[in-house]
Amino acid sequence: MRSVPSLVFLTVAALASVFPLYFMVVSATNTSQDVLGSRLLPGGQLVENLNKLLAAQDLGAAMWNSTLNAVGTTALSLLVCSIAGYGFEVFHSRNKDRLMGVLLLAMMIPFAATMIPLFRMFADFGLTSTTIAVILPAISVPFIILLFRQAARSFPHEIVEAARIDGLRELGIFLRIFIPTMRSTYAAAAVVIFMTAWNNFLWPKVILINEAFQTMPMLISNLTSGYVTDYGVLMLAVLLTSLPTMVLFLVLQRAFAQGITGAIK
Amino acid sequence: MSTQLTPVVPAPDHQDERPPSGRGFSSLGGRRSLTGWVFLLPAALLILVMNFWPMFQAFILSLQTGRGAQLSFAEPLWFNYQRMLADQTFWMTLRTTLLYLVIQVPIMLVLALVLANILNNPRLRFKGMWRTAIFLPCAVSLVSYALVFRTMFATDGLVNDVLTGMNLIDSPINWLGQTQTAQFVIIIGLLWRWTGYNMVFYLAGLQNIDHSTIEAAKVDGANAVKTFWYVTLPQLKPMILLTAIMSTNGTIQLFDESYNLTAGGPAYTSMSVSHYLYEVSFVQNPNFGYAAAISYVILVIVALLAAIQLKVGDKRD
Amino acid sequence: MRKKMTLASVAGVATITLALAACGGGSGSNDGGGGGGDDGDDQTLTVWAWDPAFNVYAMNEAATIYAQDNPDVTVEVIETPWEDIQTKLTTLAQTGELEELPDIFLMQNNAFQKNLINYPELFTAITDSGIDFAEFPESVVAFSTTEGDNYGVPFDNGAAVTALRTDILAEAGYTIEDFTDITWDEFIANGEDILAQTGKPLLSGTAGESDLITMILQSTGGSLFDADGNPTITDNDALLQAIDVYTRLVESGVLVEVNSWDEYIGTFVNSNVAGTINGVWILGSIQTAADQSGLWNITNLPSLDGVGEATNYSANGGSSWVVSSNANTELAADFLGATFAGSTEFYDTILPSSGAIANWIPASESDVYAEPHPFFADQPVFQLAVEFGAQVPSVNTGAYYYEGRDAVSAAITNILNGADPESALAEAQATVEFAMQ
Repeated sequence: MRSVPSLVFLTVAALASVFPLYFMVVSATNTSQDVLGSRLLPGGQLVENLNKLLAAQDLGAAMWNSTLNAVGTTALSLLVCSIAGYGFEVFHSRNKDRLMGVLLLAMMIPFAATMIPLFRMFADFGLTSTTIAVILPAISVPFIILLFRQAARSFPHEIVEAARIDGLRELGIFLRIFIPTMRSTYAAAAVVIFMTAWNNFLWPKVILINEAFQTMPMLISNLTSGYVTDYGVLMLAVLLTSLPTMVLFLVLQRAFAQGITGAIK
Repeated sequence: MSTQLTPVVPAPDHQDERPPSGRGFSSLGGRRSLTGWVFLLPAALLILVMNFWPMFQAFILSLQTGRGAQLSFAEPLWFNYQRMLADQTFWMTLRTTLLYLVIQVPIMLVLALVLANILNNPRLRFKGMWRTAIFLPCAVSLVSYALVFRTMFATDGLVNDVLTGMNLIDSPINWLGQTQTAQFVIIIGLLWRWTGYNMVFYLAGLQNIDHSTIEAAKVDGANAVKTFWYVTLPQLKPMILLTAIMSTNGTIQLFDESYNLTAGGPAYTSMSVSHYLYEVSFVQNPNFGYAAAISYVILVIVALLAAIQLKVGDKRD
Repeated sequence: MRKKMTLASVAGVATITLALAACGGGSGSNDGGGGGGDDGDDQTLTVWAWDPAFNVYAMNEAATIYAQDNPDVTVEVIETPWEDIQTKLTTLAQTGELEELPDIFLMQNNAFQKNLINYPELFTAITDSGIDFAEFPESVVAFSTTEGDNYGVPFDNGAAVTALRTDILAEAGYTIEDFTDITWDEFIANGEDILAQTGKPLLSGTAGESDLITMILQSTGGSLFDADGNPTITDNDALLQAIDVYTRLVESGVLVEVNSWDEYIGTFVNSNVAGTINGVWILGSIQTAADQSGLWNITNLPSLDGVGEATNYSANGGSSWVVSSNANTELAADFLGATFAGSTEFYDTILPSSGAIANWIPASESDVYAEPHPFFADQPVFQLAVEFGAQVPSVNTGAYYYEGRDAVSAAITNILNGADPESALAEAQATVEFAMQ
C-alpha cells in the first residue's frame, strides 16, 4: 500500500477534488463570457466583479444573516446535543437506549415532507421571517447526539466519580470537566453543524419571507434568477459563500480529525 | 423498529469494556437518573416537536386529497398510496434513486477506505495537505458545485476537450442531455462531494486500531493486502456500518444534486424520488396529500434498508 | 439542588433562544415581508419581484413616477427569485397565512393559470378597476384571465424573435430579409447552407426542453390543451409537425443541443452559433457579448406552413403583476393602472436602461421605441417586438402547463432516441391525464 501506485492514486484523487475549486476561484476573476468559455487562467476582473456584486446585492447583510444563523445554530446545537449525548452515556439505562433508537428514526424523515406542517407551526406562533425559525429545527440532530454519546464513552468514568465525591453537581461536571476535555469532539461537531447550517437552503427560503433576512445561498440563487446572469459575478459570490466553511475546516481540521477519532473509540 | 435501530451506534460491541463502575451510576438512585433524563430533555423535545410531530401531520395529510389548499379525506383513505402504484414517473424516479444507491455508495465507500488506508501510512509525507485536499469538496455549497460541474460537463466543456484530446472519443458527448450520462454525472458529483467526508471517518477508525494486531499479522508473514483484509477491515466494521447507513440514508433522500446538477433531466430520467416529491408539491399543480404519501414510502425504504444493513452487519460478528 | 441547576441550564437555552428571537424581531421582521394592506390608511405597497436589472428596477421607476402625483405612497420592492415566490405562494396558501402576502407580486405567465385555479385565495380580481385590458395583446391577457375576470396586469413582453448574426449570414451570402416571413422548410434549407459554408449552426437549445416546440405550436394557434384545459397532445397535427421540424433541425445540425441554460447562453455569447429563437427578453443576454455590437438583427419566426393559422408570431415567457388578496386593493390597482397600464412616460424611462419591452400597446407609439438600437445594427428592435407581440395567436396554457410541457419534453427526448412520435405522444398524454386525476 505504500508503493508508487498508491501515491499516484492519491495524487489523482487530490487533484480531482481540488480542480473544481480551482475553477471556481479562477472564474471569480473572469468575465461572464470567459466563464462560459471555460477559461482556466486567472483574469483581471476580480475587482470589477466585486463592484458589480456589491451594487446588485446587499452582500454585507447576507453574510451577517448567514453568520448569525450558522453561529446560532452551531452554539445551540452543540449545547443541546452534547448534553444529551453525555446524558445518554453517563446516566446510561436500557430505556435511554430505546429513546436513542427512536430519536435516530428522525434522521430518516425527508425534510420535504415535514416542511409544510413545520411552516404552519411557526406561522401559528408568528415566527415567520425570524432567525429563531431558521435555527430551531436544526438544533437537535440525532447524528450529533450520537457523536457525543460515543465520545462520552471514552470519557473516564473515574473522573465523574471523583468529581462527585468532591461535591461537584452533575451539571458542573458536564460544564467544567466534560466540555474542556472533549474540545476536539466539539470541534468536529461544530464543523459538521456549521457547514450544514451555512449551506442550508430550502428551509430558510421558505420561512424567511422577508428578504431582508436573505442568506448567502439565497443571494446566489437571486443572482441566477434574472433574464441575464453574469457568471463571473456569480462565481465570485459562490466563492465568497464557500470561503467561511472552508476556512473553518482548515482552522479546525486537526481537532476535527481528532474529534471524529475520539468519538468512535 | 426503534429497538432494532439502537445498534446503529457502532459501539455496542465495546459495552463490555466499560469500567464496571459505569453501571453503578444509574443505580445510585432515582434522583441521578432523573438528572440524566433532564439532560436528554431539550434534545428529545426538539426532535419530537420539529421532526416527529410534523411527520405525524404529514401522515394525516397523506390520507387527504383536493385541489390547492382545499383538502379533505380521500375516498378510500389510502387513495394516494394506491395512486402511487399507477404512477410511472414515481416508479422511474424510485428506480433511478436505487440505481444511484447501488452504484454510488459501494464505490464511494471503497474509494474512501482505500484513500484512508493510504493516508494512514505512517511513512506518508504531507498528510495534512492530502487530507485537506480530499475533504475540502464537502465544504463547498451545493449551488456552487452544481454550477462548476455543469460548466465542466458542457458539450464544449473541459471534460469533452480532454477526452477528445486524448482520442478517447470522436465527437463531444452531450453529458447532461442523455439519460445514462446524466445519471453518470450525478454519481460523479456525489462521489466528488462525499468521498472525503467518509474517508475522514475511516481515517479516524484506522487510528483507533491497535497497531500490535497489524504487527502480529506481519510477523505471521501476511502481506499488506491480506493484513488489510483480515486484520484491519474487521476492526473497521462498526465504522463501515455507520457510514453505510448514513450514505444509504443520504442517497435515498437525495435532492440537491438532482435539483441543481441535472434538474432531473432529460425527461425525468435522472430525477431522484425526493426531487419528484418537490416537483409534485411546488412545480406541478400542488398535490400535498400525494407528496406526503411519497415521503412515507421514502421513510419506510430508508428504515428497511437500515434494518437490513444492521442485520447483515451483526451476522458477520 | 442538582435538579435546580439542570432546570437552570434549560432556562439558559431558552434565554438564548429568546434572545435570538428578539434579534429576529428587532429588525421589524414580522410585518416587513407581508403586505401592509390590511390597514386602510396604509400608503405603502409591498412588492415581490425577482430581477434587479429588470422588473425590480421597473417597479422602482413606476414608484417614482406614481409619487409625482401621490407623494404619500411608498413602494417597497422585495427581491425574490421566481422559484422562491412560487414556493412562498404555495406555502402561504397551503397554511392559510395569507396576511404574509405582499400587496403586489409578479408572476410568470406560464404559471398563472396553475396558481389561479389552485389557489384563488391569493388573488384579487381587477376587472373593474378601471384598467383597460384591451390595450394589451389578447394572447397575453389570456394568461391571467379566468371566466371573464382579469387577475393580472401584463408586464414584460414575451414575443418570440429570431435573432441572427448578420456577419455570419453575410459570409454565406444571406441577409436578414432571407429569414423574414419565411417557413420552417426555408429556414432549414438556409440553415443547412450556412452550416455547410461557415460551419456554424443557426440555433442552439437545451436538450430535453420543449420551449421551441411550444413556440412553434403557438405560432399556429395550437396548444397542448384545448379551451376547457383538457390535454390535446395526441391527435394534434400541429404538435406532430412542430416535433418534425425540431427533429429535422437537430438531425441536420442546424440546431445544436446543449446541456443547460448556462451553456445555451454560452453558445451565442461565444459565437458558436449564428443566432437564436426565443422570447424578446433574450436580447439582454445577447448584449452581454459586447464585442458583437452591431452584428445582430432580429426578425419574426418562421411559420409552420399549411398548419392552423400558420403565422410568423409566437411568444415565450413574460410575466404579469398580481394584486394579492392581502392588498390595499384600491391603491394597488390605481398604482398599476397609472403606471404599467397607463404611462408612456414610465415605459419610455425604463426601456433604454433595462430593455424591458412593454406589453402595453400604446407604449410602442412613443419615439423612444422607434429609436435605432446600435447593438442590433440600428434596427428599432423594441418597436418590432411590440409589433410582433400584438400578432401572437391567443392560446390556452391551462393549469397543467408544466405537466404538459414536461411530458412533451420527455416525448421529444424519446423521439430523438428513435421512438415512434405517435406512441411517444400517446404516452405523454397519458402522463398528463394521470397528473390531472
